[in-house]
Amino acid sequence: MSSLGPLRFQLNGHPVEIPAEPARILLDLVRDDLHLTGTKRGCDLGTCGCCTVLVDGRPTLSCLTLARLVEGRSVTTIEGVSPPQGLSPVQRAFVNHGATQCGFCTPGFVVTATALLRDHPHPSREEIERAISGNLCRCTGYIKIVDAIEAASKETA
Amino acid sequence: MHLDPFELHRPASVEEVVALARQLEGHFDYLAGGTDLLPNYKMHLNLKPHLVALEDVEELRGHTLSRLGAMARLSDLEVDAELMATYPSLSQAVREVATPLVRASGTLGGNLLVETRCFFFNQSYFWRNSLGYCLKADGDRCHVVPQKEKCYATFSGDLAPALMVLDAEVELAGPDGRRRLPLPDLYDLGGDGIRRTHLAPGELLVAVHLPAASRARPGTYLKLRVRPSYDFPELGVAAAGVFEGRTVRSLRLAVGGADPYPRRFDALTDALVGQELSDDRLAAFAQEVERAVRPVHNTFLLPDYRRRMIPVYVRRALTQLREGAAA
Repeated sequence: MSSLGPLRFQLNGHPVEIPAEPARILLDLVRDDLHLTGTKRGCDLGTCGCCTVLVDGRPTLSCLTLARLVEGRSVTTIEGVSPPQGLSPVQRAFVNHGATQCGFCTPGFVVTATALLRDHPHPSREEIERAISGNLCRCTGYIKIVDAIEAASKETA
Repeated sequence: MHLDPFELHRPASVEEVVALARQLEGHFDYLAGGTDLLPNYKMHLNLKPHLVALEDVEELRGHTLSRLGAMARLSDLEVDAELMATYPSLSQAVREVATPLVRASGTLGGNLLVETRCFFFNQSYFWRNSLGYCLKADGDRCHVVPQKEKCYATFSGDLAPALMVLDAEVELAGPDGRRRLPLPDLYDLGGDGIRRTHLAPGELLVAVHLPAASRARPGTYLKLRVRPSYDFPELGVAAAGVFEGRTVRSLRLAVGGADPYPRRFDALTDALVGQELSDDRLAAFAQEVERAVRPVHNTFLLPDYRRRMIPVYVRRALTQLREGAAA
């Protein structure tokens, strides 16, 4: 395993080269080795969606992804969703609608919602609810989160 | 949670996979989407020293209306409107698997061969250690049905019953070449619950084939679970068939989430062909299915409730078909 070369992939638009053992999980690599702590470790078993990142644009549970399997791919974390200055439309809508309380689940919701609006710019509330059904929030009751995503969809219209 | 070290292999063809499997002699797991295997590895359940990742094997990917690659991701099936419209039972089952995030990584093959589940198995190492482990992992006795011969963990995939009622076949590749089996024959109903399939050692699930005759066959899949998202099935009933008025012209029914394997009930449904499916006959049929399935106390809902829900779900599914409400 030490014979493995460094892992190379694009992280938030920048090339990364870093050692990674086969058993290294993408979430651990992102948080502990690359120090991007916006991606949260919730259940660590794929149930809560807090660790969602985009791999080649596809929402992906980073807690259930082997780091070596993103070799050559493009990974976007919550840090990469934000523009260099200010907030993305989804992030701004979350702030404006108070769609966050403790905030722990928010990065996962924002990443999931960002991918949803990219693929379906004008989702119905039902489609929004369905799209975020893999992200758990234990504070808000979801209504403000759905409000925020709906508002963001209108802003980007 | 960190994973214990393993060696990772990335074969690029089915032939390479088969050669690797022979070389590793059972000391490996196939890694498809990882949404079932990796949580189990985090819980230290039946770790292997080698993982054979299948995602670089082109032949396993992609799908058409007649062939679904084993590595087809569930979300890719779900967004294919033509596929979903062609196979209503599959459509309903795919959308009911776990969550959109799990489906974005989870695969068809992974769902068909998903690890069976049990209260006493899907627990942390510490939890299991305190009980002396179980027959399915690290121990020698079953805590659900106390004995040392058979594991009663529940088959918890949604797609197997939905594909069984479409007369799906599986294509397998192994050291002795390729072969095809009707999907129900993939599962070993006479196994000990640890060995649950008729896959030969190292044999790989390559694809699922759907016969043209199953296209647009009215069908449905009804899933019992606690939360309408994420949860594995506590019961899954799939049915597909053609009615003429209230008369059964053809019918398939399969049940998952209740036994260690998914099953199709051809003998029971064949007896209905040509008959008018009155409410009384339907009720009697549903009771026969109930008698053939025996949930045990190893999932969230109590087995008596799950058992009594079997005829309810069978009646609902067949009523949908009879009333033409399905599809």
